Amino acid sequence: MSRVIAVCGKGGVGKTTVTALLSRLLADGDNGRVLVVDADPAIGLGLALSQFPDRSVNDVRKEIISTVKQHSTDSVDLAASVDYKLMEIIMETGQLGFLSVGRPEEEGCYCQLNTLLREAIETLSSHFDLTLIDAEAGVEQVNRRVMRSVSHLLLVSDTALKGIRVAETIRDVADEAVKYRKLGLLINRARSEEDFHSLAAKTDLPILGWIPEDDTVREFDIDARSFLEIPSCPALDAVRSYVMESDFLK
Amino acid sequence: MGLFDQPLKEIRSYIDDKRGQGLARDYPFTPVLPYTDSPQIILSEDTGLELGNPGLASRSLLLWDSSGSIEDGRITLVGPDFSEAATSSLPFAQVIIAEGEFRDEYDCYRDLRDATYGLRLRGFMTRVFPGRQSIWCRVNKEALDSGFSAQILGSSLIQSLKELDFVNGAEVLFVTSSKEEVEELAAPADKVMDIVEALIKMYEEMNFDCEECEYVDVCDEVVELRQIRDRLQAEKDEKGPTDSEKGGGRA
Repeated sequence: MSRVIAVCGKGGVGKTTVTALLSRLLADGDNGRVLVVDADPAIGLGLALSQFPDRSVNDVRKEIISTVKQHSTDSVDLAASVDYKLMEIIMETGQLGFLSVGRPEEEGCYCQLNTLLREAIETLSSHFDLTLIDAEAGVEQVNRRVMRSVSHLLLVSDTALKGIRVAETIRDVADEAVKYRKLGLLINRARSEEDFHSLAAKTDLPILGWIPEDDTVREFDIDARSFLEIPSCPALDAVRSYVMESDFLK
Repeated sequence: MGLFDQPLKEIRSYIDDKRGQGLARDYPFTPVLPYTDSPQIILSEDTGLELGNPGLASRSLLLWDSSGSIEDGRITLVGPDFSEAATSSLPFAQVIIAEGEFRDEYDCYRDLRDATYGLRLRGFMTRVFPGRQSIWCRVNKEALDSGFSAQILGSSLIQSLKELDFVNGAEVLFVTSSKEEVEELAAPADKVMDIVEALIKMYEEMNFDCEECEYVDVCDEVVELRQIRDRLQAEKDEKGPTDSEKGGGRA
């Protein structure tokens, strides 16, 4: 069964960085085919991975609406069109496919198409060995069941208590809305092990580990270099150790 | 008279022309391996040959006929076979002509479409975009090395169609030679698309107000479409108006 990991948390805690580091590790190892989905309307993951697709899922949505207005079509043709267009917008790097969801939908009710798109992405995802989603900040996508097929919820917080509380809220909403199999919290940008332990004592979330502040990550961010090329560094090693090699992904 | 008489005539003429120039090869139907449910995504890195990439010319046509005009099992190829391709990406046209007894045209169309869209072959990925009549396929390296060919693809399509009880036979044309030779099929392709869209509209909307319909020219040209329209109209009249047409709601 393919695994779907959603990286969630409060805005600004480093979800995109964690997703980018995970993408780097997944692309590097023998992990089969990996689909990376930038579902955050801020579309920062593409920048972090130097993936710049011409079109997003939301563009596909608009194109299909335009096609339907010009041509008489039925649901089967519509579904085929969605599959075709999604394949068209996947950016491929080796065994890694990248898909950008894009900015929020424009006005208008296209429920059938939205459902088709969601189902098509789920089907697409099932053809990959692993799907990694950089989710929108907060709980909204989880609440709207956008990620109902998620198997692993990777919550990210920085060392501020607010980040931990948002992660707890996401867990509570997900308990109702998502049939996930595993959930864990990563503390990002911790300055020391003491820092991490002091925070860990303040939550009942299962904690996977902590990612130290890292100059290499900062340099890659500043220079907008692709995280797919980031060398071994403390942050990357932490993600490898606490996510890739831990029980979380097994 | 059949729905696709005119485009079929043009396609026949195209095939005869290519055959006359020595540009077409024919292959017989050959029984194929069972279909698979394996993942239908083939990434570029694993692709041995791409057909009809969105950046290249691509056409996909599906027609049906009851006049006995097809050569059952014939697979015609214009251009290099898959293993002969000099590049890793070729323009592509796929024309499928089914023959049989098509009592309810829309139901039959949907079944024919399912039989072709839903084709699952190991090492082969296909995507179709009906609004543009495009087809985009990838053959993975392993399948290409194992001899995946136009004959195998054509036979698989024919076999899949013939599993439908109303299909007696099927014939397939592939074009892989050039953008120009794919685009020579544009005229019949446009006619096929107009006819199919008019058919979909009739059945999906059950609205027979020709003055308001954008496909009125198509129906004027294709006698068979007018007959279908008249039959559907008669069936609708027999059933009487629906609640919404009566303007009634719940009591």
